[in-house]
Amino acid sequence: MRRLRAWGPGLLLIAPSLVALAVFVYGFLGWNIRVSMSSWRGLAPAHDFVGLDNYVALLGDVRFTHYDVPNIAIFTLVFVIGSLVVGFVMAVLLDRGVTGENVFRSVYLFPMAISFIATAIIWRWLMDNGGGESTTGINQLLADAGLESWRSDWFKSSSRWAIAAIALPAGWSLTGYVMSLFLAGMRGVPEELREAARVDGASEPRVFWHVVRPMLLPVLMSAVVILTHISLKTFDLFYAMDQKNIKIDTPALYMWFTTFDGGFYARGAAIATLLLLGVATIIVPYIWYSVREERRK
Amino acid sequence: MTAVPPARGHGRIRSPWANYVTTARYLALFALACFFLMPVYALLITALKSPSEVSVVRMWQWPHALSLDNFAIVWPKLREGFTNSVLMALPASVLSSLLGAANGFVLSKWRFPGADFAFALILFGMFIPYQAVLIPMFQVMSYSGLRGGLYGLILVHVIYGLPITTLIFRSYFAGISEELIEAAKVDGAGMLRTFVFVALPIAPPAFAVAMIWQFTSAWNDFLFGVLLTNKDRWPITVALNNIAGSQAVPFNEAMASALLACLPTLLVYVLLGRFFMRGLMAGALKG
Amino acid sequence: MMSMSEPAAATSAAAASSLARPRAAGIRLEQVGKRFRGGVDAVRELDLAIEPGEFIVLVGPSGCGKSTVLRMIAGLEEVTSGRIFLGSDDITSELPQRRDVAMVFQSYALYPRMTVRKNMAFGLRMRGTPRAERDRRVAAVARTLGLEPLLERRPAALSGGQRQRVAMGRAIVREPRVFLMDEPLSNLDAKLRVTVRAQLTQLHHRLGVTTVYVTHDQIEAMTLGQRVAVLRDGRLQQFATPQALFREPVNLFVAAFIGSPSMNFVSATIAGGQVRFAGHAIALPPDSPLVTADREVILGVRPTAFGPAGVAGWAELAVKPVVIEELGDERYVFFDLEAPRVDTEATRAAFDARGSDDALLLPDEARARFTVRLPADLPLALGQALTVSLDPRRLYFFDPRTGSTLA
Repeated sequence: MRRLRAWGPGLLLIAPSLVALAVFVYGFLGWNIRVSMSSWRGLAPAHDFVGLDNYVALLGDVRFTHYDVPNIAIFTLVFVIGSLVVGFVMAVLLDRGVTGENVFRSVYLFPMAISFIATAIIWRWLMDNGGGESTTGINQLLADAGLESWRSDWFKSSSRWAIAAIALPAGWSLTGYVMSLFLAGMRGVPEELREAARVDGASEPRVFWHVVRPMLLPVLMSAVVILTHISLKTFDLFYAMDQKNIKIDTPALYMWFTTFDGGFYARGAAIATLLLLGVATIIVPYIWYSVREERRK
Repeated sequence: MTAVPPARGHGRIRSPWANYVTTARYLALFALACFFLMPVYALLITALKSPSEVSVVRMWQWPHALSLDNFAIVWPKLREGFTNSVLMALPASVLSSLLGAANGFVLSKWRFPGADFAFALILFGMFIPYQAVLIPMFQVMSYSGLRGGLYGLILVHVIYGLPITTLIFRSYFAGISEELIEAAKVDGAGMLRTFVFVALPIAPPAFAVAMIWQFTSAWNDFLFGVLLTNKDRWPITVALNNIAGSQAVPFNEAMASALLACLPTLLVYVLLGRFFMRGLMAGALKG
Repeated sequence: MMSMSEPAAATSAAAASSLARPRAAGIRLEQVGKRFRGGVDAVRELDLAIEPGEFIVLVGPSGCGKSTVLRMIAGLEEVTSGRIFLGSDDITSELPQRRDVAMVFQSYALYPRMTVRKNMAFGLRMRGTPRAERDRRVAAVARTLGLEPLLERRPAALSGGQRQRVAMGRAIVREPRVFLMDEPLSNLDAKLRVTVRAQLTQLHHRLGVTTVYVTHDQIEAMTLGQRVAVLRDGRLQQFATPQALFREPVNLFVAAFIGSPSMNFVSATIAGGQVRFAGHAIALPPDSPLVTADREVILGVRPTAFGPAGVAGWAELAVKPVVIEELGDERYVFFDLEAPRVDTEATRAAFDARGSDDALLLPDEARARFTVRLPADLPLALGQALTVSLDPRRLYFFDPRTGSTLA
């Protein structure tokens, strides 16, 4: 009883938050799954139970299987890999310390402070695909630099990879974050370790490869997990960029439109649940691993 | 005495290529900076052009004359959204920071059985795709009458902001030495008093981080805003999307309104960037 | 912990003869100085000549510049002025990668993601040594240091003592011209430290590599070094064998720093062939250079220069013990003198640096307190008058202003 008195008050203080999250996160998640297994369509909720029918229907849904899933896969791939590479390069450039480092870092990071809506608005104009007389945006810069052949239709193109164009504004927003992660990781390597490698005869590139790089694995994992889950969740950016363009449709967009425009609540819930599963498969191991590592220290 | 060579530098001994490498580095950094600033350049010069001069095709050209007319045009359309966002983001950030502080303290320094598990459960809430709670939220908010006004939106931001603020404070309070807590206990303080007299006094930096992060997050949110508010209570992101969302809108208005909408968070970033960065790092979990 | 029993030492010696190479080089520092950003002079006008194969120790209080000197020899710090020679090569501007030195860091700096084997092989890999040769050398050194069962482990799975041995192994495997060691024993517990110290000496006998060893512990310096360089505030005070440092310190600082327990000091006056202090007067030996002097001095006497009353030729002192420390075979007796405690910058610096292995008593008054070593069977008691004798040949005299030794 005395032990209860020891930690009881703490539990009490945190209880409201726990209850709120139990409802708004876990309760809603469960409710959503329940909706996905009904046939709710239209304004009045239906409380029947149709099992996995909605999911099966999605498998046959052209928009979902032919556009949404491949698009989100392509987008995630290009976005994550692009951000990792560029962010890593930026971190390597800054690691040794340069004058004005703070300025550079601020410049690379400021897009994170801007909402995705504003980002979309700006970049929509930058990636305008007008041609000839009405060439503008990045295409115009490329033409001015003599690189006309690099002109692109960006996300309005009919290519499978059209959605990859949106990885550009997404990367613009988040690469600074990746850079911060890598930089923190690199600077966490004790200088003595690098000195030992130098005395052992390793040139600077080899010092980096053999000593610093192996210690960046945890950072890399964090970055991949966080970027991937953001990529799956992204809605604002696509919504403001080109929402009616089915060629760059994503599960998140489809869910929104089919639910709140079309009234297909059950189908929307099913899409949302699939998104949840996708995110959970990477996040749950990550959280579990993080908390366990922390315990070990 | 042998001749002494002149005094040299203070740093590390450098290889003969060091200077070339440094130059290359600065060039690369500068090129990247240009890429990052290019959109800002386009945004600024368009917003500062007089409306008649604005043309999509001449996007990159420097204005003949600087003018603030565009702002005058869009501000009336944005003003309501701006006010709504302020009324929503400030309380939301303060409240979720306060709760986060309490949670963070309990989870790091006044633990209970299963505290780590509870923390993992809380943390997961930060990572869920919001699509998966949208429909239930819509239903609940509609039935409870909270949909349409700002209170529902504030509530939602507070609750979904709990994971990150809890994380920030938990990491921060973990730095308090156990002995300090034990000394307080021996002195007779219970949990609440330890929280108020030991943890809170050192918490202001963490508060800054949490509030700045939450403010930015709430200000920039679109999804909850568009779902849970009516036209007269739209936050600025929704207002912005309506003004500038379709491509039929005048280019100058789009850019000017985007600029206005970003101003508060950018200001916070520029002035208080240090805290912003710390919030960033907290979100990575692994230190 | 590996023990070096005689038969084991013999077989290891045979194995180790394949390790020893006559490549050891001498080191010469010419007027070396180091100034850090902000104007701090960490090292000033240092001249040091180390013989090939010698084991020398750099010792001094923290901040005296000893680590900086070591790092300059390694190439990890740029030399502000002066030159450094390795053998006959001027390595002053040479990158650390190119110098043929191996270093053992205070924190060991083992590569955390590599196994012990990979840690030890790293330097050879960087220099392009072929695989077969690398493996052979690593195996040989691992055998010598008893690391064989640990070869596939990572540093995180090793104890402090094991990590220390791996750090040493990594240096030995390189067969460099010079070993540099930066306080490698300071993170070990006291018992381990003594054992490893002995091993270091044996290792040096076998390998014969020039070694520069840095420590703040003067006992370690005295036991390990063939010659010891005492540094203070970036300047070399004295570079000599431990015996010479002990018997012939060149100044107050060295005298106060070296020797355990530390030397006793008191202000004194020399006049008429006698040294007078605190109401006592002792005749100087007739061949002493100060016999005709007439001046103020600081008198220094080692605790071991005292004996029980009645030793022929020795002066007698009447004292009253205030503290007695029994150590079994001998005892340390403390008594106060009617004279103020000697408190100069030099003595303060020396005593601050000596650390916890010295029984430093804080006098509650400002009086000079002497420590003497006496046989345990001498009858004495606290507060009771006692006569001790003092060897007039073992008195040291220092200039009160400059601190340098007068005789």
